[in-house]
Amino acid sequence: MTKEITINPVTRIEGHGKITIYLAEDGSVSDAKFHVTQLRGFEKFAEGRPFHEMPSLMARICGICPVSHLIASAKACDALLGVRIPPVAAALRRVMNLAQLAQSHALSFFYLSAPDLLLGMDSDPAQRNLFGMLSANPQLARDGVTLRQNGQQIIELLGGKRIHPGWVVPGGVAEPLSAEKRDQILAMLPNAIAITQQAIHWFKEQLPRFAEEISAFANFPTLHMGMVDRRGNLETYDGYLRIVDAEGNVVEDRMTPEDYLDLIEEAAEPHSFLKSPYYKPRGYVDGMLRVGPLSRLLAANQISTPLANAALQDFRQIPERQSSFYFHLARLIEILYAWEEIQRVLNLPDILSEHVRAHAEPNAFEGVGISEAPRGTLMHHYKIDKHGLITYVNLIIATGHNNLAMNAGVKQVAQRFVRGDRLTEGMLNRVEAVIRTFDPCLSCSTHAVGQMPLHVQLLAPNGEVLDEIAR
Amino acid sequence: MCLAVPGKVISINDADPLFRTGKVNFGGIVKEVNLAYTPEAQIGDYVIVHVGFALSVVDPDEAARVFAYLAQMDELGELEE
Repeated sequence: MTKEITINPVTRIEGHGKITIYLAEDGSVSDAKFHVTQLRGFEKFAEGRPFHEMPSLMARICGICPVSHLIASAKACDALLGVRIPPVAAALRRVMNLAQLAQSHALSFFYLSAPDLLLGMDSDPAQRNLFGMLSANPQLARDGVTLRQNGQQIIELLGGKRIHPGWVVPGGVAEPLSAEKRDQILAMLPNAIAITQQAIHWFKEQLPRFAEEISAFANFPTLHMGMVDRRGNLETYDGYLRIVDAEGNVVEDRMTPEDYLDLIEEAAEPHSFLKSPYYKPRGYVDGMLRVGPLSRLLAANQISTPLANAALQDFRQIPERQSSFYFHLARLIEILYAWEEIQRVLNLPDILSEHVRAHAEPNAFEGVGISEAPRGTLMHHYKIDKHGLITYVNLIIATGHNNLAMNAGVKQVAQRFVRGDRLTEGMLNRVEAVIRTFDPCLSCSTHAVGQMPLHVQLLAPNGEVLDEIAR
Repeated sequence: MCLAVPGKVISINDADPLFRTGKVNFGGIVKEVNLAYTPEAQIGDYVIVHVGFALSVVDPDEAARVFAYLAQMDELGELEE
């Protein structure tokens, strides 16, 4: 193994998302690969540690979406304890997970993707960023900041100021909610809902300008996986996994966490260190899955909250809704759902109950926790010995689930936009933009603000490097 | 899986709250980072950064703990190779 995959912080920061595009003899694109490095050694690192340390450990290592890992990890620990956590604890965890969803989606949409949408894929790269966006549509930029802050404030009100709250614990949450904090959260929501609705309206107005991107941005049939509740409606904290096909037929329903081993297989591809999960019964690569906001909306029957459900019904009228371009719209609809659902949950009569934690010793040697992270289905699987020490950890993250589809999406964009033996800025932007629709969490890098670290190589059939761009 | 490596804010340029940026040092590599989402960030603070945006401020103890974990994992990674 090469040095590249060690997790030395410096190499991680400097690491690139590497893309290789292969040309055929006739000059057309024959294939494209998106190489992703993944953290190794984590499983080894976790071994021998007490299981109850896992939620906070996971949140620290994966600080980009600490709340998502806290939730999935705590659910795996609940399974080890063999407890059903108090309903109010589940409700409060649900609120935190929704706040995380909203703030993460707001960053992805308003700050990372809106510049492309507002200014166009071929606009001057020096302008096509947050700063260009501020001069073109300052209100949109401010709205993004507001929505992200609202989500973050809710997380802080629940879990405390620190980034890695120890509030979500195995068996429930550490502290009940106070009336004062509940009211503070409820007071933010009407404005957040109004802003989100405006953003949905704005996005729909932009759609006619992006017909070509819609048709080529990972626009192909795949399976979609997402969590649903007992009635088959959108769910993000606790429910069943459902898989639908491109026509919307339900392929797998009412999957419980324990079923994942039978239904999801992980392929290791030579070009990428990121494992590629797929739906086992369909085999590799027909079992290619997508997860995340688009997939969740395609898998759900309805949304249980009225405004988001109305937006979902509109979305269902779009013929090309399989295109990953619509991840953006799905993200906005989910933000709307998050605010409405937080409002509903915080108005539950017993939400201030002090009974928020179940106490138990481990009652099972194996536990699986699944939740919906902003980017899609997140799975934590732990095994422990009789002392409660970790012997096995397996994590399947949303970016992993989407790995095969991201690769296929990069190839589709390359085939549509690569001309001749040169890489152009507009083509590079679109490759970046198609990856961005999936909002992968691999971009720990701190390259230019809002820009993904990319290294693209264009290879001739004989392997000769025809062109290369890195940024 | 993405690693969250805290970086230390070494300078701040806050002409406009939405344009607020700073230089952040990650183990010797200095990057320009947008600080619009972390108005509370001050010079000397550690921040978690995602695609050029500081997502949150972490206190120094917390940052030290993350660095200790990363170092341990790195050693394990070496052993495996």
